[in-house]
Amino acid sequence: MIDISARTRILAWLAAMPFLVVVLMFEIAPLLAVAANSIQTETNFSLSNYGEILTSRFYLGSFKVSFLISIATALIGLGVGLPAAVLLKRMPGRVQQFVVICSNIGANFTGFPLAFSFVIMLGVSGSFTLLLQRFGLLENFNIYSTSGLVIAYSYFQILFAILLVLPSLAAITAEIEEAAHLVGASRFAFWRRIGLPILAPSLLGTFLLLFANAMGTYATAWALVGGSANVVTIRIGELTAGDVFSDPYLADALAMLLVVSLILPIVVEQMLAKTKDRDR
Amino acid sequence: MHERSTRDWIWVGLLGCLQLLPIVAVFLNSVAVDWAGTILPDGYTLAHVQNILKDPRFLLSIQNSLIVGFGSLLVTPFIVVPAILVAHCYFPTLDKYLAGLVILPYAVPGIVLALGLLRIYSGNYGIVLNGSPWILIFGYMPLAAPLYYVPIKNNLRALRVTELFEAGRLLGASDALILWRVVLPCVKQGLIIGLVMNFTLAISDFVYANLLVGGHFPTLQIFMGVLTGGSGRKLSVLITTYFVVIFVATAIVVWVTSRRSEA
Repeated sequence: MIDISARTRILAWLAAMPFLVVVLMFEIAPLLAVAANSIQTETNFSLSNYGEILTSRFYLGSFKVSFLISIATALIGLGVGLPAAVLLKRMPGRVQQFVVICSNIGANFTGFPLAFSFVIMLGVSGSFTLLLQRFGLLENFNIYSTSGLVIAYSYFQILFAILLVLPSLAAITAEIEEAAHLVGASRFAFWRRIGLPILAPSLLGTFLLLFANAMGTYATAWALVGGSANVVTIRIGELTAGDVFSDPYLADALAMLLVVSLILPIVVEQMLAKTKDRDR
Repeated sequence: MHERSTRDWIWVGLLGCLQLLPIVAVFLNSVAVDWAGTILPDGYTLAHVQNILKDPRFLLSIQNSLIVGFGSLLVTPFIVVPAILVAHCYFPTLDKYLAGLVILPYAVPGIVLALGLLRIYSGNYGIVLNGSPWILIFGYMPLAAPLYYVPIKNNLRALRVTELFEAGRLLGASDALILWRVVLPCVKQGLIIGLVMNFTLAISDFVYANLLVGGHFPTLQIFMGVLTGGSGRKLSVLITTYFVVIFVATAIVVWVTSRRSEA
């Protein structure tokens, strides 16, 4: 890119080196450690941890619940986040910037603060529970449940979706919209025939990241439902820090399966995107 | 056209209110006299605030969280930002790998990385970091990297780096001087956004704090976990405090960035 002397090249590498070492020590090495531990037991190397998980209704069930929650909240996130991002796109730049910063903070709003605020609003004697019951809109709702988790996750999923979708909307330029308007396309027709097809690849990518985000959520599930939530991350935490069920090797195998279930779709999506580019 | 923009503003306002709702709920609960079986509290008081101020764990957890937050800010940018800058300016191949590396924390859940850190830094390999704030400060670094990378990269893309270097060298400036005096000021906005997000991450995390440090160095989030199950009043005050800290950090970034766009 820029021509540099040998000396500058060495200095530049030295400047980048600390970060690469940190990544190696605190991102790559831990992943490798988990992978290595997952094929061990107390006594020897074996794949028995994986065998145990894949034949256990309990652990497979936790994957199923996590999958359903993640797909639901990723869809809710996109369903609300996409229109919200389109709306924000029409706002002045400063409003956009402000919302982006707030959304970023909100997307970090997880764990105990999030869980507790939803208990205040939607718990047994929460304001909204009472309000909705008064209008007869709500009968038996339990925030400490899978549907409670879906509602709580949706909060940060929507904000995360706005953050991810907003930059990709640059692909829909004013010229495209005007051209569609000139030939008499309604707004609905525009989005169905032009807008969504243009955005489809980046929306798929966003969906996968939202899905991964929900699958990996631990703090919020723990804070809201605790050990009784049968989601994968809670099972992993329990096997790691639990007094009764502690089995670090099984925890690592569960963690590896979680990672594979998240990375596989992303890799497939990237490969599809590449072949599509080549076809063009 | 005018009508449509009014409608847009109403929708945006509505979204903003919905987003604020949980925060308002926690705040009301922290100053409520009694709030059970009614839609709004019966009365308001600062008793819970005074109550929690007497609890030594409260100040300790705030202090610990601030140590982790500012500790992270004192180390992370000095390690992450140089790598982003030199990769962008000199090493396009490295830049491609960085782009992949910064996505990794999104694809690999925090709890998985925490398991790995637990295995490596508990002494099995001669390094003991677990149980001390250092593991948090270093552990958050790869997670914070995307928070710097994305906004700084946005700034860098708008910049003609090659021409800046040519011009600078023509004037006799060294590369280090060009990076320091020309490139860095141009990415200031992205850097500030990165700093605030880094801080927010460090004081919001529960997973690393709980699994790697826990009771040895109780942070705000750990203390929140301890208080869960009680009346919830103290917890509300604690969460409100946490919001105030985040709000101040955000206000600073909004103020600084909006001042820059006017200039």
